[in-house]
Parts: sequence; structure tokens; C-alpha cells
Amino acid sequence: MKQTVSSHPVTLVLLIAVQSFCAAFFLWDVASDLAPDGVRALAHLHLAIETGAALALLSAIVFEARYLMALLRRKAHLEEQVSIATGAFHDIILAHFDRWTLTPAERDVAMFAIKGFSVTETAELRGSAPGTVKAQLNAVYRKAGVSGRGALLGLLVDELLAGPLVEATPDRP
Amino acid sequence: MTDHKIWDPFIRLFHWSLVAGFAANALILDDESKVHEWVGYAVVALVGLRLLWGFVGPLSARFASFFPSQTAVMEQIGDIATHRRRAHLGHSPLGALMIFNLLAVMLAIGVTGYMMTTDAYWGVEWVEEAHEMLVVWAEISVVLHIAAVVFESWRTGVNLPRAMITGKKSVPDDVRLAR
Repeated sequence: MKQTVSSHPVTLVLLIAVQSFCAAFFLWDVASDLAPDGVRALAHLHLAIETGAALALLSAIVFEARYLMALLRRKAHLEEQVSIATGAFHDIILAHFDRWTLTPAERDVAMFAIKGFSVTETAELRGSAPGTVKAQLNAVYRKAGVSGRGALLGLLVDELLAGPLVEATPDRP
Repeated sequence: MTDHKIWDPFIRLFHWSLVAGFAANALILDDESKVHEWVGYAVVALVGLRLLWGFVGPLSARFASFFPSQTAVMEQIGDIATHRRRAHLGHSPLGALMIFNLLAVMLAIGVTGYMMTTDAYWGVEWVEEAHEMLVVWAEISVVLHIAAVVFESWRTGVNLPRAMITGKKSVPDDVRLAR
């Protein structure tokens, strides 16, 4: 996924580089053809077409360069949005943990659950027994008033989609 | 402003000698003259020393320290597109591309120039044509190089031409450094 996003501008950059090389060559060629007779040489159909083609290529390059810049700006903007969204989601999670008055252990276990770790994995990471983790998770679900992990995630995502994203924007660094 | 010592004396001497040598041969000296040949050889020797320096010189002069990766090049273009001011302490990725281009074209000009003096290639048309085409390419590259240096100095707030004279890059305090 990341590959397709990042490789596209690279192709464009290479294309622009190759076309610039071609344009430089053609313009140099036209300039040296024009040198003896000056602008009057443009009366020759062949030379006139050659000049036109070179200039068209040049304008295509300018257009591509502008498109590339817009593309890169858009990419940077999207990355920024994603980081804001990540931050906002994190804020929402922490706010809910506070509201549910989770203990530090419960917060930790809940965070692992949200991030998709299984009970066994969480137990391993925290160095506790799976039974303990299961009990702590049940406490989390009870305090949150949900039936399980899916419902917990749904609750948080629902909150995220409801809109505090925009409010979270200005005070984030 | 924070000063960073970047360019060692050899790099600076090399840069400005190359400027003088290439300008003299391309713009001033008579193509047929013996001086043209000797200046050409001097330029090739300079480039040879620079290549050596790229392996044994101080860090900022080493090719390994500024060999441009695709990601780094795209990051720099991204910085330009989004008006992010980030300065590079050594050569910037795009600058490095131009350096390799210039080093290669200088060598190629030297080789074709030398070939024109040998019995085997004397008066051979493609050699002469290649020599001239390469010079045109070098001239275009030099113009691009100067334009890019002016643009990057303006964009990042680091006076690059002065850094190539004094050896120090003065980076404004509000400008971040790219690794």
C-alpha cells in the first residue's frame, strides 16, 4: 500500500528527468539550426514544426512538474491528516479510560486488546497469567458497559467518527 | 545562526579550480591550442584527485556519506513542494546527483579530448562530435547547478556559495537539519 503511494512520484520524477534531457537536446538542436539565418529560418516548414514540438515538450514538462509538486503536497497533507487522526484516536481512548476509571493494569490490558493482541499474547507481554488478563479484560468490558472486544472497538471508533477530529486539529503540534 | 564546518580546503580548492579550468577551456581558450590540451589534462587530474578524496577524505567529502538514495531524493523534492525548510549539512541528495553528473561529464570530456590527440582517433568525426556534445551538456549542467544553488540558498536560508568559499555552512536557527 505504502509502496504504490511512494513509487508513483518517483516514476514521475524519472519521466521529468528524461523528458528534460530530450527537451534540452531538441532545443539545442533547434537553436543551432536557427543560428545561421535567425528567426527567418522558421519559414521552413520542417524547422517550424521542430521548434513547435520542442516547445510543446517543454510545456508538458512544466505541467508535469507542477502536477508532481501538487501530488507531493497532497501526500504530505494526507500523512499529516493520518498523524492527526492517530493522535485524536489515542486521545479518545485515554479520555474513555479516565471516564471508566480503569486501574493502570486494566488500561494496559485494554490498550493491548484494542491493538489486537490476544489474551495469551497480552499475558506474555505483561508477564502475567492468561487468567489474570482475562479477569482484567472482563473488568474493562464491565466498566465500559460493552459485551466484548468488538463492541469496545466499535464504541471508540464511533466516537472518532462522530467528529472530535477537527477540534483536535489546532492544538496538536 | 549556527556555523557548521563542512568543506575541507581540498574540496574548496578543487571546486574553484574546476570552475576556472572548465570556464577557461569552454569559453576563452582556443580549441586548437596546446594550452587547451594542458588545461584539459589538469581538469582530468583534478577530478581524479576528487575521486580519490571521495574514498579517503573527511566524512563530508566521502561518496559514501552523500550517495543519494531514492528516498532521500524524494524527501528533498517533497520538502520543496511543501515549502518545508530543511537543510542538509553535507551535499543534499539532488546536489549529489548533480555532482556525480558533473564529475562523469568532466571525465568523458577529458577522454574524448585525449582521443582527438591520438593517431587512432585523430580527425574521427564521432569523437569530435561527442566531445562537443558533452561540453554542451556540461554547460547546461553548470547553469542548472548555479540556478539550483541560488534556489536552495533562498529556500533553506543557508548561503551555499559562501559555504563553498569559507567552508562553513551557517544554518538559521529556525531551520531543521536533515539527517
